[in-house]
Amino acid sequence: MFEYVIFFFFAAVAVIFAMVVITNRNPVVSALSLVVSFFALAVMYVLLDAPFLAALQVIVYAGAIMVLFLFVIMLLNLQHMHEPATHPIQQFLGYTSSAAFAIALVYYLLKYAAYNVPASPFYTDARMIGVALFEAYIFPFEMVSILLLAAIVGALLLSGRVPGQRPNAGDEVAS
Amino acid sequence: MIPTSWFLILSAMLFAIGVCGVLTRKNGITIFMSIELMVNAVNLTFLAYARQFHQLHGLIFVFFVMAIAAAEAAVGLAIFISLFHHRETIDVDEANLMHW
Amino acid sequence: MPFDATDVALSVLKIAIVLLAILNVTPIMVWVERRGSALIQDRPGPNRVGPFGLFQSFADALKFILKEDIVPDAANKLLYTLAPAIGLLPALTTIAVVPWGRPFMLHNLHLFGRTFFQQPRIFEPIVADLNIGVLLVFALASLAVYGIVVAGWSSNNKYSLFGGIRASAQMISYELALTLAAVSALLVAGSLRLTDVVWKQTGYFVLFDTVKIPSWNIFSPAMWISAIVFIVSGFAETNRLPFDFAEAEAELVAGYHTEYSSMKFALFFMSEYMAMTTMSALIVTFFFGGWSIPYYVPPATFLGFLLTALVFLAKVSFMLFVFVWIRWTIPRLKYDILMKIGWKLFLPLALANLVIVAFFIAKGWI
Repeated sequence: MFEYVIFFFFAAVAVIFAMVVITNRNPVVSALSLVVSFFALAVMYVLLDAPFLAALQVIVYAGAIMVLFLFVIMLLNLQHMHEPATHPIQQFLGYTSSAAFAIALVYYLLKYAAYNVPASPFYTDARMIGVALFEAYIFPFEMVSILLLAAIVGALLLSGRVPGQRPNAGDEVAS
Repeated sequence: MIPTSWFLILSAMLFAIGVCGVLTRKNGITIFMSIELMVNAVNLTFLAYARQFHQLHGLIFVFFVMAIAAAEAAVGLAIFISLFHHRETIDVDEANLMHW
Repeated sequence: MPFDATDVALSVLKIAIVLLAILNVTPIMVWVERRGSALIQDRPGPNRVGPFGLFQSFADALKFILKEDIVPDAANKLLYTLAPAIGLLPALTTIAVVPWGRPFMLHNLHLFGRTFFQQPRIFEPIVADLNIGVLLVFALASLAVYGIVVAGWSSNNKYSLFGGIRASAQMISYELALTLAAVSALLVAGSLRLTDVVWKQTGYFVLFDTVKIPSWNIFSPAMWISAIVFIVSGFAETNRLPFDFAEAEAELVAGYHTEYSSMKFALFFMSEYMAMTTMSALIVTFFFGGWSIPYYVPPATFLGFLLTALVFLAKVSFMLFVFVWIRWTIPRLKYDILMKIGWKLFLPLALANLVIVAFFIAKGWI
């Protein structure tokens, strides 16, 4: 019973803060709400017997990616920027189509998904994942490491100062 | 034991919220955050099915998705910094040229 | 996992002990910091309130409570109020996975005219012995930056904002070195459980057939580099001098807490000292043998537990004193030097050390 309470509480937290992310005009508030939403998702991972991935979720998403988002938002001073609203037609189409999408997904999930198969505990730990990564998935693992290296080089190349350009507002903090 | 379908429904709702954010917003960083939200919704689905079918593949896939999301965030934010330095805005409608 | 009322009672007891300890660290550390700085700078320090100025901290606490609580007009009120609490949360919770004594048997305890524990039960002196303990530590440590960033941003003050931006970049950078340095300790223990890390460091090894050296990780020939990297990165993670760029009172007024006053400021103060304590406990657990006593195997009784707990306390207190000692000895670095040593020195060093440790393990030397 206790885990149902936890599930509903954190599911509500995840959904509500996800809505704050897309409705709030202030990017800093959006980013912080997304952190809360990710944290609630980490709790979901614990409920799904994957504590290792829950910890990774917090470390990677909340601890690294979202800090990077916040860093960029603060660096570019975006919180004072006025964001023009999208066209009303686009707004209407966006909201209705995504709502229809959600309803359709939930409907077909309820109708066809394997929800009537009783779930049983499937406890996973770091060792199992590590063994799988270094045996069956060694090639994708190496590929991801190369991808990360490429991403580092790409990010440096993109955000680095272009020679001969006038200094920008964010540069003295960035370097 | 919480049924798998509940996690799937939660995941579907989060994914739809992410889609809505991408469709209705103009701020590039907010759109980017909506994409991250969608990626996380998919991760939740992977984990729910991994438990349902007692398969490790779902967990491994989530692991890779996280690694790639980190790379994506680094490159994506670098692109936004570069865009801001050239255009003084991160409104995605303003970025309508393939080169600058 | 089935559990009964006794488990719940024991858990509550453990939580109460740890919480009391970590909440009482702040006033003691404020006193140590003031007297320690006075000692280092050759001046008396606070010595009027109580013997040796011991009650100065209580006077400070009273002052914090009574001061006017100012919220800047331009601040984001909600986040401004939440920020100190966000900062306090990781500092309070991380200590839960650190073991603080030898486990012992509870058996036939006579208390209040009744006999408890007729079934013997192991008392593990750790709040949550998770099998992903170390990952939890790093997950919560990575959340610690939000308190500072939110405070810096919501104050709507440019110095606070600079403090927040600096803290976010600094803490992401040093987290990598910190984690990689800790991984070598985990590699030796072969587990993510902090209790296993400590058990691995009990006992001793014999060097050159003559000297018996306690098998603490810091004395291990393969791991002293990562111990140094971990300790220095720990200083950077807790925003202590010489790495306190988030507040840097010579450059940024008071950094991220410029606009804070009264109890909210006191909360930042508390979370700084709590984070310091947690970091000291982690340094001790990873590299200084946790609760283990050199050349002595404590018995699995209450007495042995008490002894190990006191030893752990002594080690943590020493590390806390080192924090104070270094703060008042070494001047602040420049920010670019901080980034340079983080990425170009500590990260490669930690990685190289990881390879060395893996080599030692492959050779069977550890």
